[in-house]
Amino acid sequence: MCDLCMKHGAGGKWYLNAEHYSNRIAERYNLRDFLLEQYKNFEQISIRKFRGFNAVGLGYKLRMPIIGRIVKHTAEKLLHSTNPPTNPFRPEGHIGQVVPLEDAVAILETCAAEPIIEKNCMCRYMSRGIKEACCINFGVMSEIVDKLPRFIPEKDKYHLTRRQAVERFTEHNKKGYIGSIWFGPFPYINNLCSCASPECAGIRPRLDYGIKSIYKSEYIVDPDPDKCTGCRACVSVCQFKAIGYDHALKRITLDYKKCFGCGVCRHACKQEALFLKPRDEVHGLGKNY
Amino acid sequence: MTGKTSIKIDYSRCGDEVGVDPRSCGKCLRACDPAIFLLHETLGAVEENPFDPQKWRITPLWPDLCFRCMKCVESCPERAVSVRWKPAGGN
Repeated sequence: MCDLCMKHGAGGKWYLNAEHYSNRIAERYNLRDFLLEQYKNFEQISIRKFRGFNAVGLGYKLRMPIIGRIVKHTAEKLLHSTNPPTNPFRPEGHIGQVVPLEDAVAILETCAAEPIIEKNCMCRYMSRGIKEACCINFGVMSEIVDKLPRFIPEKDKYHLTRRQAVERFTEHNKKGYIGSIWFGPFPYINNLCSCASPECAGIRPRLDYGIKSIYKSEYIVDPDPDKCTGCRACVSVCQFKAIGYDHALKRITLDYKKCFGCGVCRHACKQEALFLKPRDEVHGLGKNY
Repeated sequence: MTGKTSIKIDYSRCGDEVGVDPRSCGKCLRACDPAIFLLHETLGAVEENPFDPQKWRITPLWPDLCFRCMKCVESCPERAVSVRWKPAGGN
């Protein structure tokens, strides 16, 4: 169990606690107005200045002595904030976690608040200029997207039933997109994304700059060395470069430190040699989320 | 990689100011393998309909991840992108 689960999971996983999806929370923090203000100019978030700094050239800023450490600390504090949200122009309390297909289905079937919609992914739009409908939104967030034409998919019907949402998410997951669930802002959950690196603005800070903007999932891949035939189909689908191939053993090897437990490699394996197991069953990983 | 990479976009050739809409072009966004560019609404622009912004620009957001492949420079039809760095050994 990660820290978020311990604090906000009510005995289980934080993202399976239906409280976080409820309209009651949205109303308590007036999130309808907050999120509309935030998503009106969402693409600007990383170039707006906060305490004199924005994210432009972040790698160079982090390399500066002392200042670099302050920037990293401030960024993590902002993302992990559990205070009531105040400023829609900052990514306050916007922290996520990788979820495998099974957990995402559980979220869509039991927790997600209606209405459920699918919108254009804003990360792919702001980094590639491409509109791809693969983000699933719930509750208040769905109503906000109705007002913002650039997020509305052109061809598809974008209001989904629970069953359609599960189908769409499964489709993206099998394509190799990483499932991720987000507080935005804490304590409200409204986004189930299907991410890809390097486009994803949530995965980039973690992989390239070591800022914990997204947690690894509650699981880790468990390869069965006897079943693996060494076909290497899974190697290229892993977006975290956690799967390698050992020529001497003629099978794949897993880098336990790099695996985020998204589980998309399982779709590529024809031998059914890849499984997921709870992350805390791997003794050497400790609290590596 | 030695030295800082400085990537600049000439807003007198690309962006809302000169009527070149990066949303319909976006060639540099897609030419860049590490995806270092950001397409965003112009900061401080006055929009007729704030829910459907029409003034957009591109900012090189993560220049430290640039490999200096120069594909963005080659792909830009407006010749608005420039990539510069100090040669190795320089200060």
